[in-house]
Amino acid sequence: MAAGFVGFEITWRADVFADAPQASSAAQFGTLGINFRARKPESDAEWRAAIDALRCATG
Amino acid sequence: MDDLTATLPGVSRPPEGLDRESLRQAIQHEYALVADEPERGFHFHTGRPLAARLAYESAWLDGIPEPTIASFAGTGNPFSLGVLEAGERVVDVGCGAGIDSLIASRMVGAEGAVIGVDMTPAMLQRARQGAEAMGVGNVEFKEGYAEALPVEDAWADVVISNGVFNLFPDKPAGLREFARVLGPKGRLQIGDILIQKPMSDGARRNIDLWKG
Repeated sequence: MAAGFVGFEITWRADVFADAPQASSAAQFGTLGINFRARKPESDAEWRAAIDALRCATG
Repeated sequence: MDDLTATLPGVSRPPEGLDRESLRQAIQHEYALVADEPERGFHFHTGRPLAARLAYESAWLDGIPEPTIASFAGTGNPFSLGVLEAGERVVDVGCGAGIDSLIASRMVGAEGAVIGVDMTPAMLQRARQGAEAMGVGNVEFKEGYAEALPVEDAWADVVISNGVFNLFPDKPAGLREFARVLGPKGRLQIGDILIQKPMSDGARRNIDLWKG
């Protein structure tokens, strides 16, 4: 089984550092809290298909 | 995976010149303070107010000891990404004080199991105290690094993590380890951070910026 993931999706983003008790670099870098999910492919065939799709997308 | 991280744009590589041991020590020091002195105030929110900010349902916190909740730190909500089913096996990477592990332990029930992994002994102590106080029997806390999880191959159905992935100096290594411990179709449900502005190489080596 290949060591990769498919179905990556960021589902939520928000400024989770605003008004924290101590100053941080979050605002300087536009840092947001996020939730993301992905899953391990069901088979090598699904993994190979995902890699092929990425290679096409990135030229 | 190795091939992709070498060739695709946008895949984070370990910053050259970053002193990983110093980074680990700095992170351990910071989070030991969160475990032992949560009222101190940090550059991130903590505790029950943070849980509300991250849309944790109040029922999830019922019965979890207040010291465990007080030392909660995170940047997202892994449980908003999908239900953990009864009987599932869960690995909580960077479990900290254990709040997510304890929530997960109730979701998966007695037939399921949770392994929380953290590199900071003070956090593990807090997590174990919380589990003991709750009488939870399906969760185990282990000391370890995300890049070398103390979990068998293909053991887990779900890997959760909250505000920790950004602290991995070698993110591809962490992802490989997530993949190793998950079985086929295993899920990642992760809360973390997104940096919207570019960082210089110098900033990427600056341990103070890694911490906050």
